Amino acid sequence: MPQELTRDFPNEMKVSNRIRWMILAGFLLLVIALFFISLMVGSSNMPFGESFMALFGQGSDVAVRIVQKIRLPETFAALIAGAGLSIAGLMMQSTLKNPMASPSTLGVSNAAVFGANVSIIGFAGGFLATGNNPQDFAVGANPFATSSIAFIFAATSTLLVLALCSIRSFSSETVVLAGIALGTVWTAATTLLQFFATDVGLSAAIIWTFGDLSRATFTMDYIMLAVVGLSAIVFFLLRWRFNAVAADERVAQTLGVHVRALRFVTLFLASLVTAVVVSYLGVIGFVGIICPHVMRRIVGNNHRFLIPGSLLCGSALLLLSNIVSHLVGGGTALPVGAITALLGGPFFLYLIFARKGAKA
Amino acid sequence: MIRLEEVSARYRRSGRLVLDKVSLELPKGSIGVLLGPNGSGKSTLLKCVSGLMKYSGSVFVDDKPMEKLRLRERSSLLAYVPQDLSFAPSTVFDAVMVGRLSHFGLSPSEADQKAVWEALDDLGLRELALNNVLELSGGERQKVALARALAQNAEILVLDEPTSNLDIAAEMNIVSLARNLAKEKGFTMILSMHDLNLALSLGDHFAFLKGGKLLSFGGRDTMDSKTISATFGILAERVDAHGREYIIYGGKQ
Repeated sequence: MPQELTRDFPNEMKVSNRIRWMILAGFLLLVIALFFISLMVGSSNMPFGESFMALFGQGSDVAVRIVQKIRLPETFAALIAGAGLSIAGLMMQSTLKNPMASPSTLGVSNAAVFGANVSIIGFAGGFLATGNNPQDFAVGANPFATSSIAFIFAATSTLLVLALCSIRSFSSETVVLAGIALGTVWTAATTLLQFFATDVGLSAAIIWTFGDLSRATFTMDYIMLAVVGLSAIVFFLLRWRFNAVAADERVAQTLGVHVRALRFVTLFLASLVTAVVVSYLGVIGFVGIICPHVMRRIVGNNHRFLIPGSLLCGSALLLLSNIVSHLVGGGTALPVGAITALLGGPFFLYLIFARKGAKA
Repeated sequence: MIRLEEVSARYRRSGRLVLDKVSLELPKGSIGVLLGPNGSGKSTLLKCVSGLMKYSGSVFVDDKPMEKLRLRERSSLLAYVPQDLSFAPSTVFDAVMVGRLSHFGLSPSEADQKAVWEALDDLGLRELALNNVLELSGGERQKVALARALAQNAEILVLDEPTSNLDIAAEMNIVSLARNLAKEKGFTMILSMHDLNLALSLGDHFAFLKGGKLLSFGGRDTMDSKTISATFGILAERVDAHGREYIIYGGKQ
């Protein structure tokens, strides 16, 4: 067809890329809007106007303290942890070439949960200050104690999987299977530990595993931001290497990509992000699986768009979940990890079944 | 120019020798075809040449020993297209851009974009540039893989059975494209195939492999009934018809 021959494909590509950038800009605006809405809702039922003024230090001391000391770190946590879990999921899916891969594919979350259980049940520590020892529950009653022990186990577990894979093989099958095996071991160990726990210790340990953004402090936010920021930058710089490995590892190698080293770095960074987030906030599932897939369908598979898209989508989902958990909870925030899945699941099903074909 | 000197390879686990001291040389701009039954070592040889498998002996490209070069230096000399093609979901343009990776490092420049459009034009893929590579036919995907290798701008193209799984028209198309690339653009090609007639219409040099050993290597004269029989265990005859040469198969030894 003559019309076909006169099509200017390089220009068409520029236009479609511009549309993708505009979609990402739209997501950015959504995240900003959700960020402010999230600051306006909470258990105190403060009116919107008062919350807004309190954000800038205006109004009563109580209002200012609630917004700046409680809601702000919590909302930042939603922003950063959402982006972090989403990018960690994308990194896992890309490097392992497995659409089912998630931030906890290496068993990181299971290890963190075991660590938290050791802290709460074994050492009577943790943020609830109600451990397994009713006589002396003040021992180790420090929110950072549980997080730190959880992180130590998560990091150790990550290094263990990576060390095992370094010895044998870094094929995606080996990594996934090793992660599943090690995750199962941690879960079994957690079950045994919980079997010997008191009622109080057990409930404290189980409540810890519910993802909860209200545990966040500014210090936690800064640490999460550093780890997530570093991972996102490294990932973005290496994006064409990921495009190559995702297509064909052998070809990628003949193109000069050190496939093993790339996989090691990615698995390490993705697991580090997950370890930090889970240790601080508990288990927040689904963000890491769903957000990259949602963005694949919206902006396509090129990591140039997919990486910023996944960061924004993760933030948006967790901020929205935080808002919903406060609104529905009526005076108490529902576990945000459950809300992400409740909101994200149906939307994901809609995307899978409502549209034919995926974007290139 | 590519030169192999006593290249041998073993399977890592079993230790079985799959390539036994293979030596051959292809001049610049020529097409060398590897022929042999399944398991004769064709794919292994191509993997060794491409640095995807450990081997003893030496592979020289323009007198540079490949095994002593860094990955990136190697990628500027040699491009590899595997037998079983695999692509991630992406546009054809992005799939070909991957071939430029060793040139741009972090982010593609205008020059890289130009090189990709050129490679797409060389293979008649411009119209498909914005399509999803996973929605293409087998023949089109083979062309995308070739375009990616072209975009790499390496002197040597290594193609492992580029015509397997293609229909006759796509097969002929790939063969004529390959010929043009070698003759007009000066690429040196080393490829493997099963169809002896297709090989005869494409190749300048022929290497017959059996059980990992090089039985025979040479120009078009090497493709005779004796060598074919020795390699494949079948009777075959080379005949002239309508000014062209054909291999006709028949009988069992």
